[in-house]
Amino acid sequence: MVFTTQVFVFYFLPLFLLVYYNLPYRWRNVWITLGSYVFYGWWEPWFAGLMLFTTVMDFIWGKVITRPGATPLQRKLAVVACVVTNLSLLGFFKYYMFAAETLNQILAAVGSQQFRVLQVILPIGISFYTFHSLTYILDLYRGHATPAKSFSVFSAFVALFPDLVAGPIIRYKTLAEQLHEREHTVSRFASGVAIFIVGFAKKILLANPCGVVADGVFNAANPCALEAWVGALAYAFQIYFDFCGYSDMAVGLGRMLGFEFLKNFDAPYRSESITELWRRWHISLSSVLRDYLYFALGGNRKGEGRTYFNLAVVMVLGGLWHGAKWNFVLWGAFHGLFLAFERWLGKRSLYAAMPRPARIGLTFLLMLFSWVLFRADNLTAAMEYFRAMLGLGPVGSVAPLLAATIYTPYHLLILAVCAGLVFQPLQAHDWSQSPVTWPRTALVVPLFVFSLMTMFSQAFNPFLYFQF
Amino acid sequence: MNRLRDPQWFLILMFLGIIASVPLIQTVIEARRDDGVRAFDVFSQAPTAANLRAYERSLEAANWAAQVSRPWIQFAQFEWLKDGGEKAVIAPEGWYFYKPGLNYMLARIEKAKPAGATNDPLPAIVDFRDQLAARGIRLVLMPVPNKESIYPDRLTSRADALLGVVAPRTRDLLERLRAANVEVIDLFKEFHEARQQTGAISPASLYLAQDTHWSPVGVDLAAKAVARRLKELGWVQPGRVEYGERSVPVRRLGDILRMMQVPLIERRVNSETVPCVQVVRGDRGELYKDAPESEILVLGDSFVRIYQQDEPRAAGFIAHLAKELKQPLFSLVNDGGGSTLVRQELRGRPAFLKNKKVVLWEFVERDIGLGLEGWKLVPLPPAASPSSPGPVNNSADVNEPKKPGRLN
Repeated sequence: MVFTTQVFVFYFLPLFLLVYYNLPYRWRNVWITLGSYVFYGWWEPWFAGLMLFTTVMDFIWGKVITRPGATPLQRKLAVVACVVTNLSLLGFFKYYMFAAETLNQILAAVGSQQFRVLQVILPIGISFYTFHSLTYILDLYRGHATPAKSFSVFSAFVALFPDLVAGPIIRYKTLAEQLHEREHTVSRFASGVAIFIVGFAKKILLANPCGVVADGVFNAANPCALEAWVGALAYAFQIYFDFCGYSDMAVGLGRMLGFEFLKNFDAPYRSESITELWRRWHISLSSVLRDYLYFALGGNRKGEGRTYFNLAVVMVLGGLWHGAKWNFVLWGAFHGLFLAFERWLGKRSLYAAMPRPARIGLTFLLMLFSWVLFRADNLTAAMEYFRAMLGLGPVGSVAPLLAATIYTPYHLLILAVCAGLVFQPLQAHDWSQSPVTWPRTALVVPLFVFSLMTMFSQAFNPFLYFQF
Repeated sequence: MNRLRDPQWFLILMFLGIIASVPLIQTVIEARRDDGVRAFDVFSQAPTAANLRAYERSLEAANWAAQVSRPWIQFAQFEWLKDGGEKAVIAPEGWYFYKPGLNYMLARIEKAKPAGATNDPLPAIVDFRDQLAARGIRLVLMPVPNKESIYPDRLTSRADALLGVVAPRTRDLLERLRAANVEVIDLFKEFHEARQQTGAISPASLYLAQDTHWSPVGVDLAAKAVARRLKELGWVQPGRVEYGERSVPVRRLGDILRMMQVPLIERRVNSETVPCVQVVRGDRGELYKDAPESEILVLGDSFVRIYQQDEPRAAGFIAHLAKELKQPLFSLVNDGGGSTLVRQELRGRPAFLKNKKVVLWEFVERDIGLGLEGWKLVPLPPAASPSSPGPVNNSADVNEPKKPGRLN
């Protein structure tokens, strides 16, 4: 199910909340689990079976790891087995086809017989719930968390629908206490409603129209340089408001259920360097990669050269986490390279001496280039797009017609609003921390009504991060 | 009531009120209609992904709140922000373009290429040509240019230099058709030349301003081009029926505006006056009528239907081609189904090919990439008569000698 659909807003959510708040406290986690399985299985019912399998398996591995009397070796073997099983599942569903097709290309290049590639359907959100579940096992192993007291608590954690399919990636230790005991207050619920509405509006009013512009340009044959830049800009806005909007909605829904999730975005396009950007963009993924991968590789404790290497490896794997395409690998490498380079400069950007607006502008410019890698269908298309942006490529014979579809007053207005919003410091998450007042209510209620009305008229409504 | 004085409670109640009232009112509306409450349909079907999507679509389509609010939002976007949504591009001076058609023109070839080989137009066209040839029937193909192919300058002033340019994917297909010796009426060339002669803002436009279709001027030009080519090829014997013309202006609200399905927009925009020309039999004064016994069968989509089966009738492409050829024709039309559906329909009607010597197959340019059902290979209907004529050479060059061993 998608948050910005009628079936979620008008059927699932009111029914879910109605039952949730009429159940005794001890049954609420069970209801969260049941509701979340309906939410997830709505795409494809067998996806829910796969998630249940992962959940049961990791719950049992957790028991093995924390079994009284378990030796360090047994614990280590258990955690390795758990990580391998989880990553194998993820690898099969997400990376098998990529690996097999790459191998076939190599075989074709050397003139060998190619093999038939099995068509595997990627279960939506598998990367997110696999990471959720893995953080539980790793936190148990490291002694950072205590095992879930019951299967209903653990299954509620893994399946929790607000953050299930597109994050934020919430670690078990962050939610452990809240899963056992959480406060359901009017002020928390109201602030949840407020941030949910803001996220909803970001998605419907900003991300979707930007997506129309971005898709139009990225799907076009050899666009002119100006349109290529507008397309990249539109995609930068789309992915930010899409993902940030989803995170806001997740935080809001979490609050409606009494949970408090961490902030996932912090005005990333105001970053003055790539290093800073990764402290502000998809914060939950950055911190998981840092704590469970970068530190595991030795972090910065094994010398300068190894630190750069670790940064690059983490970002390449982070890129691959987003999807099984060479574009994502290159996107990760691009960021890894800049992180390592800025580390070498003393955690400063190459343009640190410039005035602040220039630093922000240049960082944003680097992001725009990296988003092209992220958005393009394949590496060839990405390279063509770069050439178009730089005015080095051929301009398609009918390319000027793009102007008619993207430079409408509607799209220009939306792009201008987006530009105004991404470079201002106030973030919905911070804004929603303070109590809901009459002016805020007067703002968000009409915003919700307007967003719903707009949703009714939109046919284009994808969530970009679901594919990851 | 005191709770309503607290902004937090007020917000919560408003939020819950909105998300709960919409389905509740919907339930009441549907219960009062006695046609069952759609929300409960989810329990009457197996929970497969397809059923769930269909259920979701049915809820969305029936939603009273959406039905009430959608027109207002779309009208506001249309009127103030010049956004035509998924279907329309709003151009200056009252011109509208079909957005999917424009997207087809802009798309990269590799992006637009369908996954299955049967979705490539060429094999389907060549197969159809060869099947017809085996029965002694010749195929003439007539892809009709998208409106935006002929009037790019109406979309944006930046496209002034694009007059005469053909979209990459269309050009690619036309070249491959030529290489495969398929007889193609090149309306791109005809229309581009006509535009150069009449100027950019001629009142006699080849296409309607609010519609995806051609105007009576475009119809006439296409009919003349086809007749001229058929005569050159010698595939059709000159007829002896004399037809006359009768001017009948009609008011027409363009299909692009109607596709938006917003009555407010339809009321806001004035319909066009279209100067149609009906074709009448000179001897009887009757409106043109198809003749099943004709040697020519026209297959096509709404470009063939417009003015012919629609108001004012007998003023469309078929009637005008009949006038040019001085003989009645026979036709089979499937709206939007020029790529495959019309051939599938033909398959169920063996009599339609009886006595035929030429099949003229029309489809619109955007169907090259967006045709309904793609480009399937469709077998011809079983032969209606055992004494069908022998195979013919149906290649583009009629003077070309038959190649030994080749199926003509």
